[in-house]
Amino acid sequence: MFSLFIENFRISITSVLANKMRSLLTALGVVIGILAVTLMGTLISGLDHSFEKSMEFLGKDVLYIRKYEWFGDKEWWEMRNRPNIKIKHANSILERSQYAKYVAPVSEWYTSVKRDANEISGVRVTGTTGAYAMISTAEIEKGRFFSSSENRSGSRVAIIGKDIADNLFENENAIGERIRIGNYTFRVIGEIEKQGKFLGMFSLDKQVIIPIGTHQRLFTRRGWTGINVRVDENNIDNATEEITALMRQFRHVRPTEDDNFALNRQDPFKQQYSMIKLAIGGTGFFITVLSLVVGGIGIANIMFVTVKERTREIGTRKALGATPKMILMQFLMESITICLFGGLLGLGLAWGGSFIINQYFPSEMPIDLALTALGLSMFVGIISGLAPSYKAAKLDPIDALRYE
Amino acid sequence: MSLISLKNIYKIYNVGGEEVRALDGVNVNIQENEYLAIMGPSGSGKSTLMNMIGCLDTPTSGLYEFEGEMVNEMDDNQLASIRNRKIGFVFQTFNLLPKATAQHNVEIPLIYGNVRRDQRKNLATEALESVGLGDRMHHKPNELSGGQRQRVAIARALVNKPSIILADEPTGNLDSKSGQEIMEIFDSLYQTGNTIILVTHEDDVAKHAHRTIRLLDGKVKEDIYVAA
Repeated sequence: MFSLFIENFRISITSVLANKMRSLLTALGVVIGILAVTLMGTLISGLDHSFEKSMEFLGKDVLYIRKYEWFGDKEWWEMRNRPNIKIKHANSILERSQYAKYVAPVSEWYTSVKRDANEISGVRVTGTTGAYAMISTAEIEKGRFFSSSENRSGSRVAIIGKDIADNLFENENAIGERIRIGNYTFRVIGEIEKQGKFLGMFSLDKQVIIPIGTHQRLFTRRGWTGINVRVDENNIDNATEEITALMRQFRHVRPTEDDNFALNRQDPFKQQYSMIKLAIGGTGFFITVLSLVVGGIGIANIMFVTVKERTREIGTRKALGATPKMILMQFLMESITICLFGGLLGLGLAWGGSFIINQYFPSEMPIDLALTALGLSMFVGIISGLAPSYKAAKLDPIDALRYE
Repeated sequence: MSLISLKNIYKIYNVGGEEVRALDGVNVNIQENEYLAIMGPSGSGKSTLMNMIGCLDTPTSGLYEFEGEMVNEMDDNQLASIRNRKIGFVFQTFNLLPKATAQHNVEIPLIYGNVRRDQRKNLATEALESVGLGDRMHHKPNELSGGQRQRVAIARALVNKPSIILADEPTGNLDSKSGQEIMEIFDSLYQTGNTIILVTHEDDVAKHAHRTIRLLDGKVKEDIYVAA
């Protein structure tokens, strides 16, 4: 049986190579199908990777009290009229909430950062307190975070992100050096580890962190303020409810009125993301199924032609002792070979494509998906080869031998 | 016991509502090491009888016994097996696989007979040498002359050491010199103990045989033995 398998494989290869152009065109549907499914898989794996990193940055147990909702159907102009978030409420939450573990007020403003002639513009300047270090997942790589006395006294000290360190200091040690944030001179006291991009949109490393008091005085007039709360991770829902109630109380929201602030979490990101993922996956799946079906029909068609062309050969083989099953296997194998060839070509192209995707965000071609894709192309080969092969197997040897 | 025994063989086709008796009560016995020619004009049932003997076809009624096996009761798989083991076919148009070498062509019956690879090689070489093509083993059909192609086909028919060699107009597509060479090969195969059945309409070919069966309208019209 094994020599028959080898023989069938030999016949298939010979036949595919003898009609190179025809095989290629026939396999094109499968090529596109496999390309689509693999590239989609690569894309999703890359998205997953980058999304998880971004979600890590937000933290699953952190509530972001903001003026604006991150998601939802509220109109922006309605939210614009809400009162600003006040820094003093950070302390009140810490005092009154039983679920809040760390609370840090945050102010943000964007400006340029300079050192001598080097300048980076559009740097995120975050003003906060020492609690920020306990809420953020990013670690201090060198130096330290500012102390509470530095915070209270409004010292001009800064912790810089990796982009700032790399661009302004290159190989030098930044700790203790001076930089200009906007028009003010600050002393660098710490450096944060590399965090990468948030959802591939903006760099988390292009930031400096300074005491909130300093921030208030120098920048906050123009920026916005919010409060980050790290809560007990086993009671996130309870904490959300409790802190919403506290905020309503602090801001004197009447029971009949809606919240005039937002409690943002990473969860809606996840929901949004799974919808995007579903959309990509759905599109990829649709393209794959469509091209595999069309490709399969093409292969069935060309296999019928092949069987017709080789009717005499089939007759001869039958006369020489091939059973119907052996003939069936021969043509099935040929159909599978065309599909596998298409599948491998598609995988090759996808492999190349995954390098291009990798340029934009880190991803890799999932091996299990590649194997599934190959299995899928074999399956297409079997399905579309079945009818033509059966026809070949059932040919009457006498008619086949007489066929001109 | 006869090698082949055909008893009361009928083959009836229904062509457009009309009954056509391709074989109309044929009785033939063939012994081992016979050299037989089947002759007859076209439409005489000559091809049908050949297909019947070659186990490519089964009769509508009648008994066909091949070395004690009842062919008329066999299914497609059993027919394939008996063709593979016991019958060597030689066709008018050679029917070689164009992309395979002479050696590979000869190996095909062995592949279907599930013979091991190394053994296959030896048997194929042996068969090709026996028809004088030991030096053409790795040539493809389009690199061989018509006579050489037919010799490859004979080697392919021989390779499984079949009980009969069944040749359908083996010289029909050859010039007279090549045809003569092919007939000489059949003669020598007969002399080494093979059973040979020729289907032909040429008297020149048939005269090599020692027995001639003439068919007309699906019936055996004459069955003559010629002394060797």
